[in-house]
Amino acid sequence: MKKVKGLFLVLAVAALTACNSNDDGVQAGIEIPGITITDDIDCCSAEEALQVYKFLQTVKIVPELSTEIDGKYNVFAYTQTGGFHNGYNEIFFVATKKLTGNYIKNFDITTITPLMHMVKMDMYHSTPVGPDAASFNNDYLAVKRTWVSFLMNTSDAGSWTLSYDALVLGDKGGIEKRDIVVNALPDGQAWLKSFKVGDATYYLSLVNPTDWQTGTNAITAYVSKKSEKATVPYALAPETFTIDIDPRMPDMGNHTSPNNTPLTKQADGSYAGTINLTMTGLWRIHLTVRDAQGNIVAGGEELSSLYWDVTI
Amino acid sequence: MIGLLLFIISVQPDTLTTSPHNLDEVVVVSRGQGGKRSAKGQVATIDEHLQELNHVELVRRGSYAWEPTVNNMQTERLSTTIDGMKIFYACTDKMDPVTSYVESSNLQSISLNSGLNGNPQATGNIGGALDLRLRKAGFSNNAQNRQNAQAGYETNGNVQVYGADASHSSRRFYVNGGAFYRHADNYKAGGGKELQFSQFQKVNVFTNAGFKFPPSGGDGRGALEATFIYDRASDVGYPALNMDVSKAEAFITSLAYKHLFEDSKLESWETKGYYNHITHVMDDTTRPDVEIHMDMPGESWTAGAYSLLTGEYGKHQAQLNLDGYYNRLFADMTMYPGGAAPMYMVTWPDVGTMNVGVALSDDIRFPSFGGTEGGLHFSGKLSWQHQRLNNEEGYKALSVFFPGMKQQYHQTTGRIAANFNSSILEFLNFSIGAGWGSRAPTVTEAYGYYLNNTFDQYDYIGNPRLKNESAIELNTNFSFSILPSFNFSIDANAFFFSNYIVGQFENRLSAMTVGAEGVKVYGNIDHATIANASLTAEWRPVSGLRWSAKGTYSLGRDDEGEPLPLIAPFTYQSRLSYATGPLSLQAEVKGHTRQAKYGKKYGETETAAWTIVNLSANYQFSIKHYPLGRRTLARQEFTLRAGIENLFDKYYATYSDWCHIPQKGRNIYMNISFEL
Repeated sequence: MKKVKGLFLVLAVAALTACNSNDDGVQAGIEIPGITITDDIDCCSAEEALQVYKFLQTVKIVPELSTEIDGKYNVFAYTQTGGFHNGYNEIFFVATKKLTGNYIKNFDITTITPLMHMVKMDMYHSTPVGPDAASFNNDYLAVKRTWVSFLMNTSDAGSWTLSYDALVLGDKGGIEKRDIVVNALPDGQAWLKSFKVGDATYYLSLVNPTDWQTGTNAITAYVSKKSEKATVPYALAPETFTIDIDPRMPDMGNHTSPNNTPLTKQADGSYAGTINLTMTGLWRIHLTVRDAQGNIVAGGEELSSLYWDVTI
Repeated sequence: MIGLLLFIISVQPDTLTTSPHNLDEVVVVSRGQGGKRSAKGQVATIDEHLQELNHVELVRRGSYAWEPTVNNMQTERLSTTIDGMKIFYACTDKMDPVTSYVESSNLQSISLNSGLNGNPQATGNIGGALDLRLRKAGFSNNAQNRQNAQAGYETNGNVQVYGADASHSSRRFYVNGGAFYRHADNYKAGGGKELQFSQFQKVNVFTNAGFKFPPSGGDGRGALEATFIYDRASDVGYPALNMDVSKAEAFITSLAYKHLFEDSKLESWETKGYYNHITHVMDDTTRPDVEIHMDMPGESWTAGAYSLLTGEYGKHQAQLNLDGYYNRLFADMTMYPGGAAPMYMVTWPDVGTMNVGVALSDDIRFPSFGGTEGGLHFSGKLSWQHQRLNNEEGYKALSVFFPGMKQQYHQTTGRIAANFNSSILEFLNFSIGAGWGSRAPTVTEAYGYYLNNTFDQYDYIGNPRLKNESAIELNTNFSFSILPSFNFSIDANAFFFSNYIVGQFENRLSAMTVGAEGVKVYGNIDHATIANASLTAEWRPVSGLRWSAKGTYSLGRDDEGEPLPLIAPFTYQSRLSYATGPLSLQAEVKGHTRQAKYGKKYGETETAAWTIVNLSANYQFSIKHYPLGRRTLARQEFTLRAGIENLFDKYYATYSDWCHIPQKGRNIYMNISFEL
């Protein structure tokens, strides 16, 4: 990846030098479709814009979440698939100037509020969400990331809406209760589970297990706590837990793998560990959650009933 | 000199291939007099021929593709070459020892070197080295054309064998080739019970050709030789295993240049390049009650070359051999649980092995006591190999068990053996020998991944951090001629291993195969011992009558003094044969005692004693006739063979019958070989 980036830089520099000598006034050296590079300090340089553009090629736009602010700016949202599914979904935001199409470096996306309307009972509830969207990679600071982990998929029982606030170069905007569709995961995938400690309900969201391969994998998850008012998005749980994992293959007589390490809380609030997968197929990851004192608060039995299912 | 050489060649076509030096034993598979061979003659399988050799036993997982053991050591401690060519089996479950990829009709002979004294191309041969020598028509001063055909039938299992071959020889050119077909249905064990999944079918075609260059001055002359073999077995049942084989296919090719020197201390210089490719596809779709259907294909590619220089200087006859090969082994497994996603794993991670070696051997002849001749034979080889795991997924999977393992490994191995033989007076011949040798772990032992072994019901995981295994061998042989008609010989050898490689329990790991007992990981144990002793007697009281008897006892111990698995108990064989003119008759009794010292620790279970009786007969005759359109009288040779195996229809299994699958019950066979 490093090499590829390096190559782009070299290309960019070479192209810029070339057009300077041409002196036709247009920096056409880097051609990014739909973007005009100017000396605008709010926006990306040619190299930065190219990095963002390249990154956005790896994800898909979610049209329902796009918005326009003051006729001057556009905000676009992207996910892995261009849609949503049960469990953890990463959402990426960019803001552009309508005039040039270039990416704005600093903007805020806050108060992401997914809301489920349960038709039968006419009740509303939210779901676990990540913190305010923020840059996550120094190579493309103009992309802000956050996540939403959906408790259930859209069905006859209920449907989802999503709202967020945007602040772009001093101008406020956002979307209000846009309808979105959350798809069910295929069989053999279950990435969000809950457990109760006393009256409190916690949610375990497994991050992007589709990236896993046979061998040793990093495993990341978030623990969120249900808000007192169910319509308020569920923030990360302030408590510190340890999550023991026991990956099994139910189709292979509960075959397991050695040397897995428990998920422990990281500085950024996520939980990280390692998981070893000896082959592809359905893995049921049985979980045991311990509190900061080491007491088991959920799971704990042999083949714990608290588990994620992942099929790789 | 040319005349002499050609004369030898025309009589004994095999001379153009590597001449056997200091072989322990040879089975003559094809036409030819003398030497051992199966009573079934031309149509016998290679496995049946191999059974005739001392030191050799066969591990049987079904009717087809038996795995030879030499001195109670299996494939991983043996070298098997085809005319000096390296070839590696492609099945992670050892369903296809490389001897299964040739047919009797392809071969002139099978030579065996017991222990560390291997043929020059052999590497890793602690237990012994088998070289399958291909049948080549050879050059001939008088142009000759021959056609032969064979057909055979066996009642038990409805075995049918058909073969035909043809050859053309002349001064400058020869070509021979043939085709072979075998078919067997399920056989019946003693008592008449049919053994399910013991069928097989096989076709084999082969051709060899040679071209001799015209003489070019005084420095001898050269010849080019080419070989092609295609072998395909299909619908092969393995009653001892959970799976069968839908296809086991091999392409074997080689091209060699051989230079014969004249008036020189050098005799010959042969350089051969070769390539072979094996595809092996397991199949469980015909099995009832399969819990999870699996696909388990495996492939093996080998390309290599060797260059062998042979010379004679005074009392020395020496050989220098350089060889190198590159082998790739890949196998994977896909399991299909009903409804859920398929499960996939790489079981041999596309291991590329590059091996180079240099071998030297010398035979020194000198006069011995009482005017007889004695000899000292010496052989040694040094090899270096580099291995790379080319499949990333397989490498990562194995890294789960060996964090920080490398993707490339290399090993240096060697062997050195010396043997002294002499005669004391005329009635006693003796030889003593010693050697040291080492072997690198096999791909299964080093990188195998969850390979289920039905023998002990464990899943085996390879260990990339294994040390080389080494052994010191001591051997001796005494043979007495008490009367001119009575011979008696004692043969004994012992192997003292260091870092013996064997699967070791790993309780922390969970089995993969449904129903498996657990997981074993290959490891080195500090030491182990395997020893074998045999007694042979032969008596020829009157011309034509011959009685022979053989008893062999073996012993295998690990570092804790526990018996090793698959070590033969006391085995015996006694034969009475009578030959008069074209007819010969033979009766044979063979068996082994109860296997009391079985490798319990290694999951082996006890095998009961058994004895069976076999009868065979052989009749040769010829018909004189005038071939169509010709006026000269021609003779057409026929050989008829018939026999009964397991005359009393005993139900039995030998210690080396995988999971105690029973042997064939009474079987009547008959076959005919004739010239066309």
